[in-house]
Amino acid sequence: MVSADALRTRQQLHYDDVEAGTEMPPLVIGPLTPTHLFRWSAAMENWHRIHYDQNFAIYHEDLPSILGQGSWKQSILPRYLKDLCLPDGWAWKVKFQHRAMIVPGNTLTVWAKVTGKREAEGLGLVDLDVGMRLDGDIESCPGTATIVLPIRGGRAIPYPFVAPKGA
Amino acid sequence: MSEANNPLTEEVRAMIGVSGEKLEASPPWGIEREGLRIFCNAIMDPDPRYWDDAFARSTKFGTIVTPPIYCSYLGMKTMQDEEDPISRAFAEDPNSDGIGGVRQGGDVGKTGLPVLPTPLTRILNAGNEIEVYKYPTLGDHIFSQARYSDIQGRITRDGAPMLVTTVEMTYTDQDDEVLCIVRQSQIRR
Repeated sequence: MVSADALRTRQQLHYDDVEAGTEMPPLVIGPLTPTHLFRWSAAMENWHRIHYDQNFAIYHEDLPSILGQGSWKQSILPRYLKDLCLPDGWAWKVKFQHRAMIVPGNTLTVWAKVTGKREAEGLGLVDLDVGMRLDGDIESCPGTATIVLPIRGGRAIPYPFVAPKGA
Repeated sequence: MSEANNPLTEEVRAMIGVSGEKLEASPPWGIEREGLRIFCNAIMDPDPRYWDDAFARSTKFGTIVTPPIYCSYLGMKTMQDEEDPISRAFAEDPNSDGIGGVRQGGDVGKTGLPVLPTPLTRILNAGNEIEVYKYPTLGDHIFSQARYSDIQGRITRDGAPMLVTTVEMTYTDQDDEVLCIVRQSQIRR
């Protein structure tokens, strides 16, 4: 897991530093436990029993176990992309599908790989394939993303972010 | 797909593009530290931008901010003036799944959107598309507006009807600045 100090002192990744094929450092989470899932359900006031009631999940819903919440996964990819861009980049957009179910015992590896990059209005846009692999090899959240990284000697990325026209 | 079993009826098709009214998603007191602390712990993100005032002041944000789509989770909370939704759900159905009776038809019930006129109420989260422009700060009030951006009808391999719906939620702050746009696709069976 990442520490607060690591996020305080993160060294900026620049647009100039990446190219198609660059693999970003992954984020490893887990192994997940029923308590992790219960904490999210309580935090979100999501009372769906498939996330914390094992008997209900298995015997009523015919599931393999209680399931990791899609709403939780929905925050993990933006969080990962945010970390990649720190301190002055911007995790602009991400799109992903929910595929393989997450159950207690799974270890998640959140990953990203550069598929291309382009400059638009002086901003460095980097396109990524992204995902969340379970236990090393089962893809749970295949998707794509676009982050904005500063160009060395270029202009600051605006905040609030203003997307380049037509990007 | 024959018209007889096409779940994309004229009534359902007519909902494409329909928007709900703009609603306040945040509680009356706005974004606050305790809810933010609980959320950050639940996603295991220790970023000091979310809790360390001195460090946050030194960043481009100039203040504490929230995680990228934190604002999209606020509208799911039950306020204190509402009937206890859990007790009601189980009083109506002792075998409640904990969410069907709590929220009619899933999360859409709290979006301000009209409920889809379909008997397909079993919902699975199919995927998300997220655009982020600004992070909320402490004290901000968050508003959301939902729209059925797409609805498709399908028949599964085992012959069952299925709808794939996409709801687009735009989140803004009290200055009407766009914070993020979240498109959620759901499978209804």
